[in-house]
Amino acid sequence: MIRAALNRLIGMLTVMLLVVTIVFVIVRVTPGDPAAVMLGPEATAQDIEDLRARLGLDGSLIEQFGSYVAGIAQGDLGQSIFLGQSVGTALWQRAEPTFFLTVFSLLIAMVIALPVGIASAYWRGSLFDQTMTTLAMLAASVPSFWLGLLLIQSFAVSFGWFPASGYGGPGTTLLERLHHLVLPAVTLGVVSSALIMRFTRASMLDVLNDDYVRTARSKGMTEWRVVLKHALKNALIPILTVIGLTAALLISGAIVTETVFGLPGVGNLIVSAVLRRDYPVIQGALLIVAGLYVLVNFLIDMLYLLVDPRVRY
Amino acid sequence: MRPSTFAFLLGAAVLGLMPAASAQEKGGVIDVATIGEPPTLDAMVSSTDIVGMISQHIFETLFTFDSDWNVAPLLAKSLPTISDDARTYTITLRDGVKFHDGSVMAASDVVASLKRWMVVGGRGKQVAENVASVEAVDGNAIQITLKEPYSPLLSLLAFNNSAAIIIPEKTIPQDGGVTPLATFVGTGPYKLQEHKPDQYIQLVRFDDYSMRDEEPSGFAGARHAYLDEIRFVPVPDINTRTEGAIAGQFAFADTLPVESYERLEAGKSEPVLLEHFGWPIFVMNTKEGLLSDMRVRQALQAALNTGDMLAAAFGDTKFYAVDGPMYPANYAWRTDVGVELYNQGNAEKAKELLAAAGYDGKPLRILTSRQYEFHYKMALVAQAYLEQAGFKVDMQVVDWATLVQRNKKPDLWEIFITHSPFLPEPALNFILSKSAGGWWDSPEKEKAMAAFTSTSDLEERKAHWEEIQKLIFEQAPIVKVGDFASLSAKSPALEGFRPSPWPAFWNVSLNDKQ
Repeated sequence: MIRAALNRLIGMLTVMLLVVTIVFVIVRVTPGDPAAVMLGPEATAQDIEDLRARLGLDGSLIEQFGSYVAGIAQGDLGQSIFLGQSVGTALWQRAEPTFFLTVFSLLIAMVIALPVGIASAYWRGSLFDQTMTTLAMLAASVPSFWLGLLLIQSFAVSFGWFPASGYGGPGTTLLERLHHLVLPAVTLGVVSSALIMRFTRASMLDVLNDDYVRTARSKGMTEWRVVLKHALKNALIPILTVIGLTAALLISGAIVTETVFGLPGVGNLIVSAVLRRDYPVIQGALLIVAGLYVLVNFLIDMLYLLVDPRVRY
Repeated sequence: MRPSTFAFLLGAAVLGLMPAASAQEKGGVIDVATIGEPPTLDAMVSSTDIVGMISQHIFETLFTFDSDWNVAPLLAKSLPTISDDARTYTITLRDGVKFHDGSVMAASDVVASLKRWMVVGGRGKQVAENVASVEAVDGNAIQITLKEPYSPLLSLLAFNNSAAIIIPEKTIPQDGGVTPLATFVGTGPYKLQEHKPDQYIQLVRFDDYSMRDEEPSGFAGARHAYLDEIRFVPVPDINTRTEGAIAGQFAFADTLPVESYERLEAGKSEPVLLEHFGWPIFVMNTKEGLLSDMRVRQALQAALNTGDMLAAAFGDTKFYAVDGPMYPANYAWRTDVGVELYNQGNAEKAKELLAAAGYDGKPLRILTSRQYEFHYKMALVAQAYLEQAGFKVDMQVVDWATLVQRNKKPDLWEIFITHSPFLPEPALNFILSKSAGGWWDSPEKEKAMAAFTSTSDLEERKAHWEEIQKLIFEQAPIVKVGDFASLSAKSPALEGFRPSPWPAFWNVSLNDKQ
C-alpha cells in the first residue's frame, strides 16, 4: 500500500508540474491584456504600456515564469492584479461558499441518486425504472444555468423564499449565508444526481445476478439485506469513482452555477479572472483545482485498496 | 368637549404625529447591484463607468457638474480665478475639509494628488501635456499654470472617472505614482468600510463630512448622507440581476436588458429609464489600412441605415432615438450642422464612393464583442448594409478583454464598436484624440480643436464645436449610430434618487415602503 501511494505521489507531482507550465503558457498566449481591461477601450496604447510597466507585466515571459515558479516553491501564488489581495487570500475567501456548495449539492445528489439507482436496478424494466431512467436523462441534459434561472424565477421571484443571488452582506450569520446556497445546491445536486444514479443502476445490475447474490438469497436472507449488504458493497467501486469525480467536478464545475447565482466562490473567481485576464488568479486557481482533482483521484485509488483487497497497483 | 373641538384637536394631533411628506431621514442600508466587480477603486487610474459610479461616493474632486452640466465647485471654495491670458488658474480650497482618516485637506494634498493624476490618469495625462506647473500658493490655494490656454481644464478636473480625486499626500506612494494605492481615503460623504472582492463593497456614512451648503443640483451642492450604508454588490449575470430586481432584492440594480421593462413594472422594483443615456459608436481606423482613405469612410457612412441598426439593438423606440447630432437636445453643445450625412442608408452613393476610391474588395474587419449584446446586434445589421453596398465584411467577434487590447493595434481592425455616455465637455471625448480611438488626425480637425480648447467664451466655443461636428460628418472618423436609453431598477422605498449615467446615492433615503 505504501509503495502504491508513493508511486501515485510521483505521478501527481509530474502532473502538477505540467499543469503549472501549460496554464502559464496558455494564459499568456491568449489574446487580451489586464492593463487594457483596467483602462477600457478609450485608453491609448501608451497608457496601456505605462500601466503594464506599473503592474510588472513588461518583463520577458521567461522572467515572469521564473518568478512564478519561484513563488510557488515558497508557497506564494502571487498577487491579484485587480483584487488588491494575494491569490492565496482570494482563494481562501472563496473557499467557504464553494466548499458548502459542493458538500450540499453532493449530499442532494447522493440522496436522490443512490436509492433511486438501487431501486431502478432492483426493479429493472418496471414502470418505476423507466420513469426514473428518463428523468435521469432529462436531468443530465438540462443546462445548469437554465435550471438555476428557473429556480430563481420560481422560488426567489414568485414565492420570495430564497434570495435570487449573492452570499449575504457584511455581518451575515453562517445560517443566512447557507440560506443563499439552497437554490444553487439544488441546481447542482439535481444535475449531478443523474450521472450518479445511472452509474449506481448499472453497477447494481452487474452484481445483482451474480452467484454470491443467489447464494445469499438461498441462505434465506431478507431481500434488503441481500441488496444493501451483499450486492451494494460489491457495486460500490464504480459508484465511489463517479461520486469522487463528481465532487472534484463540483469544486471547479460549479463555475456556471456560481456565476448565475452570483456566489463569490472559486468558480466565479475563475470566470472573473479569465474575463479580466487576471493572470496570477487564473494560474493560482487552476493550480489549486488541478491539485484537488489529482488529490481526489489519489484518495479514490487508495479507497479502492480498502474496499477491494484484490486491487493491486 | 364639543365634537367640533374634539375633531380639531384629534386632527391636529394626527398631523403633528405625521412626518412631513418631503422630509428625508437618516438611516437604512441599501444593496446596489452592479454589473460586476470594478477593476480598481483608484478613480484616477480607470476611466470605466463602474469605477466612477462607486468611487464618487468615497472621493471628491475640486469641481463637479451641476444639473445643467456646468462646472461647479466641490472641494474648491468657488470657481477659480483665471488670469487675463487664460494661463493661470488660482483655485482657493474650502477650509477645514476632512479626509476619512481625520486629517484636514491642505494645498499640499491637492498638489500631490494632481501631480499623481497627471502621471497615472488618462485624462490627467491629457492635461499634463499643457501644464507648466502646479503649486501651492499658500496654505489654502493652489495655482495651475498652463503653457497655452486650455478651456477643457475645469471639466477634466471635474470629471468622475480617470478623475482628479483629492487624496491625502501621505497615502500617495513616493515613487511618482508607480505603485498602486494601498488605501482608499477620500473626503466624500461615504467612506470605505470593507471590500470583499466579488462579494460586496461596503461604504458607511462619514460623520465628519464637510458638506457644501448650496442646494443639491446634479452632482453639485449639498451631499446629504442619509443612508447609513451603501453596499455595492457585483451581479455580473444580467439575467440574475434582473430577477433580483424583480424580486425586490436590491434597492437599485444597474443596467438591465430593455426586454425586461414590462416584467420590472410588474415586479417589486420600479423601472428607471434614463433617456439619451449614451451613444453607440462605430470607430473607424483612420491611421492604417482600408479606412485611412476618407472616401471609403464616407462610403461606409453613406451605406449604413442607423435607424435599422438601433431597432435591431433596442427594439422599442422608448429605448432609442434616431438622432444624428453629437449631443441630445438638453445640452448646450447641440447643433444640427452636418447631420444631413447621418443615417443615409444609400447603397448607390456608397458604391459610387467606393468606385472612386478604387476599392478592391479587401475585407473590412469589424471588431466587436458580445459583452454588450447591442453592439453585436448593430454589427449584424451593419454587415448586411455594407455588403449590399459592395463591401466585403469580416466580422471579428471576440471577448471584451481581447477587444480592448486589439483596438490599440491599428493593423488588426477597420472598425471597432463601443459606446459612451454623453460627456459634459466635448473635449473629453476620446474620438477627438489623435492618440486614441481611431487616431483621427487631420489638419482641419486639429485647427478646429485648437480654437475650441483655447477660448473660454461659451458662444465662441459653441461656434467652434459646430465646425468640429461638421468635420466629424464630413471626414467620417466615426459613425454615431444614435442615442440609447439606459434601463435600471430601483426600489419604491428609495427616495430622492436621480437617474444619471453615474448613479449616486447621496441625497437618497429610504421611506417606509421598504
